[in-house]
Amino acid sequence: MITSRDRATRQGAQLHTDNPLQAPTGSPGSTKARALHLGRSLALWLCFFALGASVDQSVAAIAEPVGGAVDKELAEAAADRHACLRCHAMSTLGYRDPDDGEIVDLSIDREGLAHSVHGELACIDCHRRSYRRYPHPDRPAPGDLDCIGCHEDENQNLSRGWVDIDAEFKRSVHAVSDSPRVEGFSCHSCHDPHRFRPAAVGEPIVQIVRNHNEVCLSCHEKLIAPSSTSHGWLPNRDAHWTSVRCVDCHTPVAVFANHEVLPAEKSEKNCVSCHSADPQLLARLYQFRSEEDIARRGLLAKAVFNEAYVVGMSKSPALDRLSLAIIGLMVLLLAAHGVGRYLVRRANRRA
Amino acid sequence: MKSLYLYPVWLRLWHWINALLFLTLIASGVSMHYAGADWLMPFATARVVHNTAGILLTMAWIIFVVANARSENARHYRVRFRTLIGDLIAQTRYYMIGIFRLEPHPFHVTEAMKFNTLQQLSYLGVMYGLMPILILSGWAFLYSVYLPETLFGLGSVWVVAMTHVVVSYLLALFLLVHMYIITTGDTVFSNLRAMITGWHRETDLPRTETTAPAPRETP
Ligand code: HEC
Ligand code: HEC
Ligand code: HEC
Ligand code: HEC
Ligand code: HEC
Ligand code: HEC
Ligand code: HEC
Repeated sequence: MITSRDRATRQGAQLHTDNPLQAPTGSPGSTKARALHLGRSLALWLCFFALGASVDQSVAAIAEPVGGAVDKELAEAAADRHACLRCHAMSTLGYRDPDDGEIVDLSIDREGLAHSVHGELACIDCHRRSYRRYPHPDRPAPGDLDCIGCHEDENQNLSRGWVDIDAEFKRSVHAVSDSPRVEGFSCHSCHDPHRFRPAAVGEPIVQIVRNHNEVCLSCHEKLIAPSSTSHGWLPNRDAHWTSVRCVDCHTPVAVFANHEVLPAEKSEKNCVSCHSADPQLLARLYQFRSEEDIARRGLLAKAVFNEAYVVGMSKSPALDRLSLAIIGLMVLLLAAHGVGRYLVRRANRRA
Repeated sequence: MKSLYLYPVWLRLWHWINALLFLTLIASGVSMHYAGADWLMPFATARVVHNTAGILLTMAWIIFVVANARSENARHYRVRFRTLIGDLIAQTRYYMIGIFRLEPHPFHVTEAMKFNTLQQLSYLGVMYGLMPILILSGWAFLYSVYLPETLFGLGSVWVVAMTHVVVSYLLALFLLVHMYIITTGDTVFSNLRAMITGWHRETDLPRTETTAPAPRETP
């Protein structure tokens, strides 16, 4: 924990000093600003009972009880989060963007944040210190501060290196498309830094599928509308969408590049890449199945969870082998019987 | 010469349609189960073929059950328990030993009973045991969305899939044995001919064997 905090501070510090281009502390106009100063005037003050004392005082006053509270830094971070979340945990906090009329949601899900990889950071590790004051100074959120800005070094916990992910993303349809609708597409379009948590090995596959597909469906929600004819060629479409991930079909089959989302015409349509004894695509998804998990569930369940779910795949290799062996044996027996009959008859005719 | 009309038209029609569906289902089923190999049907085709043939097989089965119950054919399915054990032993002994000694067939086809005990039991098992299970599990596949999440503590789809696959292996085994056993009639093809023409003929005996009382058998 201490090391992670150290790193957090280091990375946080790095943000504000070493990297002026990406740091939100750069000169006010240096980042691609959302028209916040305009937005603020139209801010929807939906539930503002929480506003009372000045924020500066409350930061000191309200410290969340942290187990034992030995770690001063952790406690400070918690207090900091608490201070911000007083307002930003309200689910109704938001304003209408004066440019496009869209509601900008400023609420942060407390639970989601707590379970996220960034759950122990203080808000101001990423956001400008000046946000502690309210009204906030005229500075935009660090909109173009993407994950790679802070994360560059390889990480054992992740299946992919950060550099690879970045490169894959830059080749993906969302990055290369000239459609105006993908303008400004970044890691944050799919990953909310306040919620992000990579899937862990051993999590239930259905859960992983749901979490991952939610990402895509947050924009491509039209696909699952009841009237949608998209993916109509896929039988039991809904069953597929709960048991395989969008990225399993929409990224290159041959290489493991889950961030290289391909355009529609290059996406995988071949049923056999999953419905076969050697399901290349599903292998990626099933990497999340832990060895102990399979072992712990026992032999029967192992058969169940291993390969059973996919039609076309050998549902149980052992059963197949046994059955084929029995059938083969039967063929031999019958053949022997037939030969025997033939020989006896021939001998009889001769006699 | 004695000829018995044992297989009415409806029965023969049903039998051959059933046989065709069986082969289609095996070909398409294997194609899906072992999908990926070149010599198999493409998965997407096999799926449609399998579903269609499965639905037709269901209809054929229902027709068989109804027609069988309402026609005289039902009497061939009535097990005669009193002599069951003895008949079974005699029949099994014949296939394993007697047939190689050119012994007479222990069973004699009559209007009242065209199946020997082994046949009768296996046909009963197949038509009223395995087939319903196969059909039900097949339909459960088609409507897997409506199945409960688990059955007996296991994933429903898994239970259904395993049942379906085991029963289909058993039926494939049956088909194999069935196709062999019909060659054990008076001549290799006499039983096949009977299922085509409807007539069971005893004159098909090869001349060389006329000394022995006619061994005969029908599928
Ligand atoms: C302002 C810098 C910053 C940004 C931006 C940022 N992170 Fe982090 N991230 C951190 C810090 C600090 C930690 C916690 C320290 C640690 O455990 O390494 C962390 C931890 C993580 C971890 C936990 C794995 C690990 O390193 O142990 C993941 C995964 C992660 N971040 C993903 C992301 C993703 C995805 C994004 C983009 C949506 C992102 N981060 C954006 C600073 C940042
Ligand atoms: C008193 C309530 C309140 C507190 C406390 C508060 N905020 Fe805000 N915050 C707002 C409101 C309201 C807005 C909407 C527009 C505005 O006034 O800036 C906002 C906007 C923001 C934005 C800009 C979002 C955007 O893209 O438009 C960020 C970032 C932000 N807050 C971060 C923080 C951080 C970090 C803290 C704690 C250090 C904090 N806020 C504490 C009420 C609060
Ligand atoms: C790991 C770094 C990090 C931490 C920690 C963090 N944020 Fe953010 N926050 C970001 C980034 C990056 C964005 C910009 C996201 C985007 O462009 O959509 C952002 C955007 C926001 C916004 C704008 C609305 C939105 O969701 O886009 C608000 C409000 C906000 N953060 C509040 C907070 C508060 C309150 C905390 C502390 C409880 C916090 N943030 C902690 C990185 C962080
Ligand atoms: C189009 C949406 C999308 C974009 C854009 C995107 N991601 Fe992801 N990301 C996903 C999905 C979906 C997953 C889960 C799939 C997987 O890991 O196989 C994921 C998983 C991850 C993971 C976890 C990998 C692991 O080993 O579990 C990291 C780290 C990550 N993304 C970082 C990034 C970074 C950095 C960027 C920006 C360069 C980015 N993502 C952009 C959709 C996106
Ligand atoms: C932030 C919103 C957003 C998210 C999240 C998102 N997409 Fe997209 N996606 C778009 C937009 C907008 C386009 C349109 C690009 C265009 O028209 O060229 C697009 C295009 C696509 C296309 C290409 C369609 C075509 O006609 O060629 C595919 C495939 C796709 N997305 C898949 C995904 C997958 C898979 C995910 C999840 C990993 C995902 N998207 C997440 C917004 C999003
Ligand atoms: C079984 C593989 C498969 C899965 C799973 C899948 N797709 Fe597709 N998707 C395709 C293929 C192939 C196309 C090419 C379009 C076509 O030929 O109809 C496509 C087309 C698309 C398009 C282009 C526009 C359209 O509607 O046709 C989008 C967007 C898209 N997919 C998003 C998604 C999202 C989001 C998910 C997850 C919920 C998903 N896909 C799941 C294979 C898949
Ligand atoms: C990305 C992998 C993937 C691809 C590609 C794929 N499937 Fe599937 N499919 C699955 C999985 C996993 C299931 C199991 C769904 C369940 O039972 O929850 C499934 C289920 C099915 C089912 C339903 C069986 C049942 O148990 O309900 C059918 C039918 C099917 N697939 C046909 C196809 C066809 C046809 C194609 C090609 C057009 C195809 N699939 C492509 C992964 C895939």
